[in-house]
Amino acid sequence: MNYAVIIELLSASIRIATPLLLVALGGVISETGGTFAVGVEGMMLGGAFGGAVTVLVTQNILVGLLASMISGVLLAAIVAVATVRFRTDHMVTGLAVNILALGMTSFLLRGLFGGKTPVMVLPTIGTVRIPWLCNLPVAGPILFNEPLMTYLAFFLVIPVHLFLRRTRAGLTLRAVGENPSAAFSVGANPERIRAVAVMVCGAFAGLGGAVLSLQELGTFTDGMTNGRGFLALAAIIVGRWTPFRVMWGCLLIGAASALALNIQGWGLPMSSYVIQMTPYLIALAVLCGIGRKARMPAAIGKAFLRS
Amino acid sequence: MHQKIGWSRRRRGIGRYSAVALVVSFFVTIFPSFTASAQDKAAVLLPGSINDQSWNAQGYAGVLRLKEKGWDVAYSENVQPADMAQALQDYARKGYTLIIGHTGRFLSPMELVGPKFPKTTFIVGSGNAGAGKNVASIDFDNTQFGYLIGVLAARMSKTGKIGSVNGLEGLPNVVAQVGAYRKGAKSVNPNIQVKVIYVQDMEDAAGAKEAALSLIAWGADYVSGKLNAGQLGIIQAAKEKGVYANGRSVEDTAMAPDTVLTNIVEKWGDMYGAAADQSKAGALGGKFELYGLNSKDCTGAELLYTKEKELNPIVPQDIVDAIQAVKKKFASGELKVSVTKDDAHGGI
Repeated sequence: MNYAVIIELLSASIRIATPLLLVALGGVISETGGTFAVGVEGMMLGGAFGGAVTVLVTQNILVGLLASMISGVLLAAIVAVATVRFRTDHMVTGLAVNILALGMTSFLLRGLFGGKTPVMVLPTIGTVRIPWLCNLPVAGPILFNEPLMTYLAFFLVIPVHLFLRRTRAGLTLRAVGENPSAAFSVGANPERIRAVAVMVCGAFAGLGGAVLSLQELGTFTDGMTNGRGFLALAAIIVGRWTPFRVMWGCLLIGAASALALNIQGWGLPMSSYVIQMTPYLIALAVLCGIGRKARMPAAIGKAFLRS
Repeated sequence: MHQKIGWSRRRRGIGRYSAVALVVSFFVTIFPSFTASAQDKAAVLLPGSINDQSWNAQGYAGVLRLKEKGWDVAYSENVQPADMAQALQDYARKGYTLIIGHTGRFLSPMELVGPKFPKTTFIVGSGNAGAGKNVASIDFDNTQFGYLIGVLAARMSKTGKIGSVNGLEGLPNVVAQVGAYRKGAKSVNPNIQVKVIYVQDMEDAAGAKEAALSLIAWGADYVSGKLNAGQLGIIQAAKEKGVYANGRSVEDTAMAPDTVLTNIVEKWGDMYGAAADQSKAGALGGKFELYGLNSKDCTGAELLYTKEKELNPIVPQDIVDAIQAVKKKFASGELKVSVTKDDAHGGI
């Protein structure tokens, strides 16, 4: 392996981790508040779609990013209303939203454009070279020569961490996830807090989807998230619901995926199907290793009842 | 009593005939072609929806072609693998004499249903084997077109390294195209390095893009592939890094006109039309029919940059001539390429 290949491997890890990280940060917020974030796959797809269609019409990426967040929030609102107001099962609701998003985006893609799938060639979010730093050896081309959303995703880890650990609102959110009755007894409104947390998660997941459609590909294809939302959920568990560790979880999955592509060039006497399994095997192995230590928010998945 | 029964029987009989006559005259006036003969009923079963501007739209082109040829054509969309056998039987029972399944996945249900309906010809689009007396597979000659792209890629490459991103390692049509790509490239430059990466999902554009980027980082300056929605990922990666690629439809050219050199455009309308003619003549059953540059009825596929042009204008004339020369050799039968699984192996 030469220098260029190693650099590419590491920057590929970061690229693959970017959409996962945005989705996972949203998931951390939702799950800390006590709502399983199973619907992030659908919210992500909704965001990818909303962003792409908006950029197609407006040719403005900022408006597209906003639209992707709104699309994610709209799908999240379904989860919020169903789980908080009607106390539905979180897993079933999340899966329903995933299926809904898959069908609805495919339908709207054709419906909005008169029954024909449009050929979308969208402007993409370009790479931003950070002056001076990008000339550093190794770290320069890997860390300081990335597209805008990648910087944003990794930067957002800090405010999300500070919010959860250092602010009063973050403390209340954690309390609602651990023991909503106790939080209620000191004046918090668990229903509203959970609903807001789910919708914030939707905004993050929508942005994660926009990374795929507006940064990576500049187009939308049916079901383009392709299970990445679920990988983000795995990263949340690997990271035990704390933003920095979740970031490492995403990078681990990114590195494993990048390596799986690279290993095929080594000429190992192994089927490509086996090599393609490696990211998931690594994720499973890590989950098994961490599983015992992982402690999810105590009241996650449990409806809050005022009594 | 006896009289009465006889009378009523006769009356019922007359009623039945007049109803049939009415229906027949209705069809004769409205749809004259329908009554040409009972043999002309064809059904096309598609795994997705006809407006996907991709695989299923190409299958629907077959429906239109058969209509032009005077067949009475019915079609079903979104036929799921679990429902294939049932759908085939339904059409066969209704007297359809030609049933086309527009994906290789129809092969095993057709092998199952075929023997029960000997008067019906079953055709698997993109299948890889015939069965019995009435189940046929048709496909375009992946080998020829993969070879042509290999020649093009090797000629255009400056680094001596080219790549290909594919799905479904080991599937016969993938083996044919990828293996021939490698052989075609080596025919131009025996020292060229051809690296193949197999991805999990032919629909995952972001995953395909990562695979293409890793090939480009290794040094490839031409990336080919046979994916569905994933093809867009290959083209996007090539576009960003300023290397060449090929697509699968002229719409792919629109994605990146300076990146895409040509597209392998499959002509399913033509192939189904030709296969239908053959089945009518009773010359198709049980066969695996490949349509290529050396076929009489249709070439199976075409290299198209736009609807009018074969190759991107940036391809130098001597390379255009070289491609034409190889095409002629295929057409005359002078060049025959056979590919083994090993030719299509992943990696270098």
